[in-house]
Amino acid sequence: MHPTVIKTENLTKVFKIGFRGRRVTALRNLNLEVKEGEIFGFLGPNGAGKTTTIKMLIGLIYPTNGKAWILGRELGDVEIKKRIGFLPEQPYFYDYLSSKEFLKFYGQLFGLERDELKERIDTLLTMVGLKDAADLQLRKFSKGMLQRIGIAQALINHPDLIILDEPMSGLDPIGRKEIRDLILRLKEEGKTIFFSTHIIPDVEMVCDRVGILMKGELVNVGKPTEIIDAKIKYIEIIVSDINQEILIHGKAMGFTICETGGQVSIKLPDENQLDFMLEMIRSGKGRIVSVVPQRETLEEFFLKKTGERIS
Amino acid sequence: MERFKNYLIQLLIVPIALSVYLTQIQIEGYKDIEQRIEKFMMLPKGEYLKPMTLGYEQLVGDIIWLRAIQVIGDKVVTSKGYTWIYNALNVVTTLDPKFVYAYQLGGVTLSTLGNRPDLSNMLLKKGMKENTTVWQIPFYIGFNNFFYLDDYESAAEYMSLASKLPGHPTYLPKLAARLYVQAGNPNVALEFLARMYKETDDEKVKSALEQRIKEVIVERDARFLEGAVNRYKEIYNLYPDNLQDLVRKGIIKEIPQEPFGGFYYFNSSDSRVYSSVVKERMKVYGKK
Amino acid sequence: MRILVIAINTFKEAIRDKILYNLLFFALLMIGTSLLLATLTVGEQSKIIIDIGLASINIFGVLIAIFLGIGLISKEIEKRTIYNILSKPMPRYQFLIGKYIGLLLTIAVNTTIMGIGLYIVLAINELQWGHSILNVNPDIWKAIYLILIELMVVTAIALMFSTFSSSSSLSAIFTIALYIIGHLTEDIRLIGEKLQSVTLKGVINLIYYLLPNLDNFNVKGRVVYGIEISPIYLSLVTLYGLFYISIVLLLSGMIFQKRDFK
Repeated sequence: MHPTVIKTENLTKVFKIGFRGRRVTALRNLNLEVKEGEIFGFLGPNGAGKTTTIKMLIGLIYPTNGKAWILGRELGDVEIKKRIGFLPEQPYFYDYLSSKEFLKFYGQLFGLERDELKERIDTLLTMVGLKDAADLQLRKFSKGMLQRIGIAQALINHPDLIILDEPMSGLDPIGRKEIRDLILRLKEEGKTIFFSTHIIPDVEMVCDRVGILMKGELVNVGKPTEIIDAKIKYIEIIVSDINQEILIHGKAMGFTICETGGQVSIKLPDENQLDFMLEMIRSGKGRIVSVVPQRETLEEFFLKKTGERIS
Repeated sequence: MERFKNYLIQLLIVPIALSVYLTQIQIEGYKDIEQRIEKFMMLPKGEYLKPMTLGYEQLVGDIIWLRAIQVIGDKVVTSKGYTWIYNALNVVTTLDPKFVYAYQLGGVTLSTLGNRPDLSNMLLKKGMKENTTVWQIPFYIGFNNFFYLDDYESAAEYMSLASKLPGHPTYLPKLAARLYVQAGNPNVALEFLARMYKETDDEKVKSALEQRIKEVIVERDARFLEGAVNRYKEIYNLYPDNLQDLVRKGIIKEIPQEPFGGFYYFNSSDSRVYSSVVKERMKVYGKK
Repeated sequence: MRILVIAINTFKEAIRDKILYNLLFFALLMIGTSLLLATLTVGEQSKIIIDIGLASINIFGVLIAIFLGIGLISKEIEKRTIYNILSKPMPRYQFLIGKYIGLLLTIAVNTTIMGIGLYIVLAINELQWGHSILNVNPDIWKAIYLILIELMVVTAIALMFSTFSSSSSLSAIFTIALYIIGHLTEDIRLIGEKLQSVTLKGVINLIYYLLPNLDNFNVKGRVVYGIEISPIYLSLVTLYGLFYISIVLLLSGMIFQKRDFK
């Protein structure tokens, strides 16, 4: 049996809001276990308590009630943090630093030695594809680049557990794919990954297990295929080197087409059109990057779920 | 363990707070009164300070005023110190020209306590220009001129000026009139002092005036005794050995009580009467 | 070690901040202008230059201390950069102290630059009149030193407010208010002395000793009038400053430790 990396016991957080101290329960009696080597997806709509949970695990806020252990140590132990990598939601970093300075700063906080740190920075910049932006100030970064440098800093200390808060939000499909690939690669290296999201496909594609959080309560935990049965809304194909004629043809058939960089995303409203479209792309010598079925949004999914629960 | 360490750190506040307190007390020892007064020396002129107060002239004036009255009357304040206090009050009254009490207290303390009637009059005359209907200001100038500058004529003029202003006490016109005719009479001086004593409410000034009243009493008594000595000489053609002779021969009923608790004696070398406490006779009253 | 990393990073941030250069520029400009103003007066040119110079160093120093000081923590919270830093293996108090030292470094460098500026202007003035540079009043350095200690106290106070107030402007108002009151403590004490009621006296005295006695650090007038500033006074006041800073930092640490970063 794999050892437990994260374990929470009745973890509860109540916030006092405003001058009158109105009490709002952000998280109620969370009981959760994440095993070593797992990719665990923490799924829930905005405001469900995902970030609250993560902040408690990281030590930014203190639990009102309950306990939690990370890597066998109870919360509040500074030693834990040496073995965690963390990427905050919509990361805000010191934007006056360059990528290199930025990674050096965090490396120093972990007490990494100069030579070791230099090597580590090189490896990480290559890994997240920012080698060319090593001396660029963070303020000149795009959203995707920021997310990638954020992941790089989360990995600087060779963490055993990586916690990512909404790593894919605000990214375009290509950026999302890059992050997904990165997460899978980290799993291969034997790391445990805990990440939160409100986008169903993200979870379906990479997670070993999923926990669904709604209004501060954990409603379901299990394999993604077991618990998520959202309907497919459309299928998104991402291709590169595609013939313009095919695009014109596709548009004529009512597909939504948008071009970003050298890549093109085509949205098919119907599953049955998939074979036909792939055939066309292949005949036009286009290279297929990915085919992703897009299901209903989480809100729609949850709406349905709550409807089911009521009935 | 972690929690224990936190408590320990919190406990540290106590000794450090104590250290803050103790060092501050040490520092105060260095900030003696001289240093407090020195601050007034460094004050800019009121005219320059005024625009810098950004419209809060009265407030700034009040702060300087509060500082000034703390040191006024302190025994260690030297004559130079009073120059600085004058400087401060000058600034205060430039910032806030209608601040009558500043002229009053400044005027009376600079002369009675600081022995600087010149500065006192400068401040009071400035106050008179700004506040033409306050009878106390010319009253104080009259007092200064009478007791410190020996200028009875102008003292009387200021007194009659004061007695024409609204709210003046009823005795004032009479006092002014007496000053015109009997300026050298110690009894007039005594009345003046007694009135002045009533007009002030500052304890230090009051005790200074009390001292002054006793001195005038000594002068009055000395004159009275010298008068008796002269009569004795007219009768017996020689000076008495001592003042007791005057009583024994029935020239006076008794020797008046020396107000400071000493006694009066006759000095045969200059044939004048002195108090055992006040060694010098007053130069004023009747010499002019 | 981590404290130092934070300190250096804070220093880096400050020297890449445009506000700092603007304030420094104006301070040096004012010190320079004093040379022109001094030509307007007859005699005592150096007095005018020292007056304006020390005042500029003090005022601009306080502005830098307050505006960078209140941003020290609240900006980290507003910009959410603090989330990531505190997720690293570093006790919160170390972060706080690192930030404080970083800003002190900035302020020390600034004050030194302004001080050298003043010294140069005074030296030029002496040379203009055909005197030796040695005529420059060496006591200006004592005044500048005490200004620096005062700035350290003000920075600590600004830091404390920024650890619990969520709004920067509110922290700025608090700090400025405390700075002004800190210069009027003498009056508070004297009011206490005059009071009759023992309890009221006690309350006033308590307030007096709680408030920072910033007037302790003000020797500008003494320098100008050539009144001696004894080494004992300098060391006593330094001690006072250090003790006061320790208390303020301890309190800030306690507040900061308990805080939730929502």
